[in-house]
Amino acid sequence: MNLIPAKNDIYLDLQRRLFQEARILSAELYDEWLADILSDDIYYRMDMPQRRFREDKSGQRAPAKTPIFNDDLASLKVRIGRYDTGFVWAENPMNASRHIISNVEVFEMDEKSQFKVYSIVELHRSRLNADRKRFTVGREDIWVKSEKGYQLLERLMTLDDSVVLDSNMNFFL
Amino acid sequence: MEKLDDLIDFKTGRQKRLIYSDAGIYEQEMEKIFGRSWLFLAHECQLEKPGDFIRTFMGEDEVLVVRQKDNSVKAFLNTCTHRGNRLCKADHGNSKTFVCNYHGWSFSYDGELTGVPLEEAAYQNKLDKSKFGMVEVAQIASYKGLIFATFDEQAPSLEESLGEMKWYMDVWLDAMPEGTELIGTAMKVELPVNWKLAIENVSGDGYHLGWAHAGAMTVTAESGLAGLSVGNSDVDNASAVSVAGMNGNTLLAALDGKSGYAFYNEYQKAWDYLDENRATVVERLGKFRGEKMWGSQLNMTIFPNLQFLPGLNWFRVYHPKGPGKFEMWTWAMVDKEMSEELKQIILNNVSRTFGPAGMFDNDDGDNLQAATEQSRGWRSRQMDLYTNMAIGGEHSREEMPGVVSEGLICEQNQRYVYRRWLEMMKADSWADIPFYNSLEEAQATEGQ
Ligand code: FES
Ligand SMILES: [Fe+2]
Repeated sequence: MNLIPAKNDIYLDLQRRLFQEARILSAELYDEWLADILSDDIYYRMDMPQRRFREDKSGQRAPAKTPIFNDDLASLKVRIGRYDTGFVWAENPMNASRHIISNVEVFEMDEKSQFKVYSIVELHRSRLNADRKRFTVGREDIWVKSEKGYQLLERLMTLDDSVVLDSNMNFFL
Repeated sequence: MEKLDDLIDFKTGRQKRLIYSDAGIYEQEMEKIFGRSWLFLAHECQLEKPGDFIRTFMGEDEVLVVRQKDNSVKAFLNTCTHRGNRLCKADHGNSKTFVCNYHGWSFSYDGELTGVPLEEAAYQNKLDKSKFGMVEVAQIASYKGLIFATFDEQAPSLEESLGEMKWYMDVWLDAMPEGTELIGTAMKVELPVNWKLAIENVSGDGYHLGWAHAGAMTVTAESGLAGLSVGNSDVDNASAVSVAGMNGNTLLAALDGKSGYAFYNEYQKAWDYLDENRATVVERLGKFRGEKMWGSQLNMTIFPNLQFLPGLNWFRVYHPKGPGKFEMWTWAMVDKEMSEELKQIILNNVSRTFGPAGMFDNDDGDNLQAATEQSRGWRSRQMDLYTNMAIGGEHSREEMPGVVSEGLICEQNQRYVYRRWLEMMKADSWADIPFYNSLEEAQATEGQ
C-alpha cells in the first residue's frame, strides 16, 4: 500500500486528539471516552503474541489468533459497566496511570473522511507499595472525521510481551 | 524447617502460612510433588504432524514435547547436553532438528544427538554421541486427548493417579464422539502468587465468587449462576456439589445442565448446542452425567497444577517460578463437533472472562498476590489459616464417586488438596503415598 502522509493541519488535529484520549484514559473518564472519542462502530482488538521461529511456515496449522481484547461498543460498555459498579476492589484506591503516546504517524485513506494513524502507547501504572507496571503497545488506528470531531473507528494493538506481566489489565490503551 | 505434620491439619482444615512463602518448602515441593506427579504437557490436537512441538514446563524444568514419526509423543528436557544451553526458544512450531545456538550440536526430533561441529578435529571422533541425546521424561501417557508426563519411573500409571476423577473428566473429554480440542494459543500471565493459592481457589472456593467477582457478575448475563448471588447475600447450596477424595483431584459441580454458559453474552447459542446434542451425551455418559452435569458449571482440578472449567470452557496449567511466582497458561477448549461460530463465541468469552484482560480473572490476581505477600512477614508467617467451612458434611452418594459435600460454597475440596500436598511431601517414595477414591477409602487412609 502506498501511504500518503496527511496534511500538517490534519496531523496536528489527530495528534491532539490522541493526547486528549490518553489524558481521558489515564484519568479513567470512560463515559467521556465512550461519548466523545469512540465511534459507534468501534472495533477494538489486541491479540496474544506468539513466539515462533522466523522461518516457521506452519500457516494454516498455526494456532488461531487469540484475543486479549476483541470488543465492539456494546462489550466495551460491559467492561466499563463493571468499573461503574464500584465492586472492582483491585481499583480502589485508584492505581495512578500514565498513557504516554509517541511515534505518531498519520496517513490518508481511500475513504476521504478516514485516516490511518500509527502510534505507540507506553502505559505506566503505579500500584500498591513500590509496585510499578509498564506495558508497551503498538497501535494501528483508523480515525474518522465526524461532526463530533475525529472519532476512533478501529484500533488494532500489538502487545510486546508474550507473557503478560501484571495481575490484571483493568485499563484501556 | 518445621515438621511437615505441623504445616497442615486435614481434620481442622488448618494450614501454616509459611507454606506460601518459605523457600525451603518450595524446593521440597519441586522434588516431592512436581518431580514425581503426572504433569500436563499438551493436548493431542496441538501436535498434529511429526515434528510438531510445544515448549512447556514440568515444575521449573523446561521441556519440549514433540510428535514423532510413528505418531507417538516424546518429551525431553529443553536443554543441550553439551554445556547446558536452552535448545529451543520458540513457543511452538514444527522442526525435525533442534540445533543448539551455543556450539551448534544438533539433535533430531527423536532426541538423538546427530551432529557435532568439528567432530573429528575437536573430539578426534571419540565422542560417543549415543550417550549425549536429549534427556527424556520417565513416563509419558495420555488420557482422552490430554498428554501428561512424570519424571518418576516409579509413579503409578496416569489412569491410576487420576482415579475416579476420570469419571468426571469424561463429562468434557468424552461427552461428544470426537472429543475436545484447544483453540487459539495460550494466554500467558505471570503472577506474583504462590501456586497453591491459585489451585485452592479454583478447586473449591465458590465462596469468593459473589464477593470478589461482584463487579463482573453484575454486568454479565444470567448472574444467578448455580444459586450464587452478587455480594454473597444469599445462596442456594442444594443444586450443587463439591467432590474430592480422589487422590487429590477435585470437582465443583452445579447440577442444572446449563449454568456453565451463564456468563456468556450469547449463551442462547451454547444452550441450543446443548439441546441439540444432549441425547447423544446421555447415550454415551448415562442420565446423571448427561442431564445433570454436561453443560453445568464445573471446576475440575487435577493435582497438582491443572484446572479446567467446561461451560466457561477454559483450560489452564500453572507453572511455578519460585515460592512467590507462577505463570498461568489459559486456553479455550471446545468440543470438536461445535460449529465454527460457536467456537469463536467460546474463544471470545474465555478471553473476555478469564483471559489476561478477563473481567473475572482480573478480580483474582490482587487477592492472591496479597495472600502470598502477607505470608512473608516474620509474625504473619507463623499464623494459621483455615479452610474449615462445612467440616463434617462429607458423605457418599450412590450416583457419583468420591467424597461429596453439598454446595459450591464449602471448603471440603481445599482440605483434600492440602491433604494430598502433605501426603506427597511426606512420602519417600510412591509406595508411601495412599490412593483413595471414596469416602471409605479416604477415611481408611487418613493420616497414613
Ligand atoms: S551448549 Fe549446546 S552445543 Fe555447546
Ligand atoms: Fe475467582
